[in-house]
Amino acid sequence: MGKTSRTLVTMPASAKKGDIIEIRIIVQHDMESGFRHTETGQRVPRDIIRDFLCTYNDIEVFRVELHPGMGANPMIIFTTVATESGTLEFKWTGDDGYASSTTSQLLVT
Amino acid sequence: MNRRAFVFSAAVASGLPSFNALGEVADATQAVEKIVGNKNVSRGRVTLVIPPLVENGNLVTMKVSVESPMTKTDYVQAIHIVAEGNPLPNVVSFYLSARSGRAVITTRIRLGDSQRVRAIAHMSDGSFWQGDASTLVTIAACAEV
Repeated sequence: MGKTSRTLVTMPASAKKGDIIEIRIIVQHDMESGFRHTETGQRVPRDIIRDFLCTYNDIEVFRVELHPGMGANPMIIFTTVATESGTLEFKWTGDDGYASSTTSQLLVT
Repeated sequence: MNRRAFVFSAAVASGLPSFNALGEVADATQAVEKIVGNKNVSRGRVTLVIPPLVENGNLVTMKVSVESPMTKTDYVQAIHIVAEGNPLPNVVSFYLSARSGRAVITTRIRLGDSQRVRAIAHMSDGSFWQGDASTLVTIAACAEV
């Protein structure tokens, strides 16, 4: 098992079919840029989250490539269309075997 | 001759092509070329919002929105954020689809210096559009230990 950390997803529990829902995701991570040095002048190695993927009933709806320029504890607010009831899965992967995932249920009426 | 004028003339005299900032912009141009290839990037359709004055470059909230109907045949494929003054100009790339509904994304980025940040949208028809915003950063990211 690699590293993992806490995640937080905020989105509505239900929506009307065709509505655009807003999803807010935050993941706990230092996003060590690899450009910083310690007091003794040694470079702190890069350690960041590289990818984020959101699937809706196993179909990819949103993907992100992250670089060191992302702030610590990456927060992203994005949208998707509520098409059918089901599961949204959120996955983060990164350096040093980092992986986190969580799911949310959406009821579409 | 004051100090600033001296430093400037010294730089000119030594024939250095000079300011570090120019090198960084070149890096950004390269990064953009990598994204768009040899395609033309038009201005417009993309709105990038960042605060004009940022106290701490470590966490800067930015919002990017692209004008697009977001239908199955006409949508935004991807949005790339490029910060010209960062040591690594690529900041983040978002990959959307027609199912996104809206091409509006909010996130928090790091800025290493006062600079211009560019947002490049890749449309489903293969065209590229760009919007940018400039900001003043008082405390840069990656400055502290």
